[in-house]
Amino acid sequence: MNPFWSNIFRKLGYEGSLAYFLGTVPTFSSLGRRDLSILESMVHIRNYQAGETVFTEGDIGSGMYIIRSGSIRIEMKNDQGEDKVQANLEPGDFFGEIALTTPMPRIATATATEQSILVGLFRADVLDTVRKHPATASKILLGLTRVLSERLQHAGLRLRDLNYVHHESSPEDPS
Amino acid sequence: MNALQQQAGRTKNLVLFLILTAGIASGITIFSSASTIADWLQTATSGLFLPILISLILAFLLDPLVLLFERAQIGRTASIFAVYFIFLALIGLLLTLIGPLNWHSMLDALHADFPRYTARILDYLNNLLSSLHAQFPFLENYDISGKVRQGAQEFLGLVLLETPRSALRIGSLFLLVPLFSFFFLRDSRRIMRSLISLTPNRYFEMVLDIYDHISWQLANFIRGRILEALLIGIVVWLGLSLTDIRYAPLLGALAGITNLVPYIGPIVGMVPGLVIALVDLGIGPQFWWILCVYLLIGQIILDNFILIPILISRVSNLHPLWVILAIVMGGKLYGVLGMIIGVPIASIIKITLLEIRHYRSSFNLSAENIVSHRDD
Repeated sequence: MNPFWSNIFRKLGYEGSLAYFLGTVPTFSSLGRRDLSILESMVHIRNYQAGETVFTEGDIGSGMYIIRSGSIRIEMKNDQGEDKVQANLEPGDFFGEIALTTPMPRIATATATEQSILVGLFRADVLDTVRKHPATASKILLGLTRVLSERLQHAGLRLRDLNYVHHESSPEDPS
Repeated sequence: MNALQQQAGRTKNLVLFLILTAGIASGITIFSSASTIADWLQTATSGLFLPILISLILAFLLDPLVLLFERAQIGRTASIFAVYFIFLALIGLLLTLIGPLNWHSMLDALHADFPRYTARILDYLNNLLSSLHAQFPFLENYDISGKVRQGAQEFLGLVLLETPRSALRIGSLFLLVPLFSFFFLRDSRRIMRSLISLTPNRYFEMVLDIYDHISWQLANFIRGRILEALLIGIVVWLGLSLTDIRYAPLLGALAGITNLVPYIGPIVGMVPGLVIALVDLGIGPQFWWILCVYLLIGQIILDNFILIPILISRVSNLHPLWVILAIVMGGKLYGVLGMIIGVPIASIIKITLLEIRHYRSSFNLSAENIVSHRDD
């Protein structure tokens, strides 16, 4: 076939699709193809310029973002009120997932360090899916819960270690 | 030196004059072209308002049913077709059960009866007037009965003239409404999503959240109002069919539709029924029963104690002043139809504003906060 026509009728393989990309995110790893196509219709694709703020500390969050391309810097204010870089996130990483289930203020600031494409999943759409496709919604929420529990456990273990270190270093401390 | 200054001043004046003239001329051009464009838009969209409104309402009503099918893993389009089929089958079943309502002959009979009813009202008014004249002689100058007769004749003429025209319009409604509501049902989500995606990144989350809240409230409000009108209409119809009154279905429909307008609507919907009852049946047990159906069963029991608490939250209640303003403004814009839908639209605006305020207050999103966001 003429390369011109073959180019026009070229099919983007499943690997190139948004659904496939979403399936590679750990939160959604247990979703089947059908669930992923529903998830694909739920998310919003947002484009950010380099240096553009995604959200600021204290904003009311309503959902999570997954990085499709580009990179995002996460900063938190320390005691002195200075911004301290917590992490630099790469494509495939996600952030802001705590705000997905309940409206809570953001605890960090997220800024795009280069031109980035983010895939946003927001509470309004999740609630809508709970009504329309309960099975898919519960899979999505279960995946989210799994990731959050892993983090919670990890944080708990680290807290215990820190406590242990703290006790080791100051045995005279009555607490 | 002086001459030079004078000349400079003159050129300045000239430039100012030219700029002003050009400004005024372009202003007039823009204004007139804008008004012609507005005219074109108005002509192009004039016939579309009613079908779009009805299809939106229908889409709101059918959406929960479509959702029911969708949950059973049926595609959206197939679900919509299934709901359409069931809807049509239900209407067909209803018509065969009750027997085909002969709307046309009923309207014809109404045309014939209308003068009789107005004549009876005039008689009654004349009696009232003569007793009034006896007490207040200065009222002699006012020809009230003549005015009423003239008004009634004009109204009848309007109805007779409008019927063939509206028949044509109703025909086009039967074509357009199912088509429009199909696309509203299928694509409304996509349309709204693409509209919302136009918001800047900074406000996207907020807009999405507020839209979600508002659309929930509005869907409930519109569904509640339509169901309320439907139930009132059916109850009035059934209540009236127990008596010998004619036009019970028409009167029921009228009561249901006018019930959309708070405070004034139920009274307006009640008057024709009472007049017909008075003229045809006279004051007797049947008349009192009809009054009971309208007032006690329709308004007090069904509407105030059952429907409003269940279907419609008190949040959307409007102050009577706003109700009157909405009716007057709606009437100016779209005539009788505007009067009926003016109040629900005013409620919709109120719900929207309330939701935005609620969102801002509950999440501490004060005006300062928004301003400071705008600055960075």
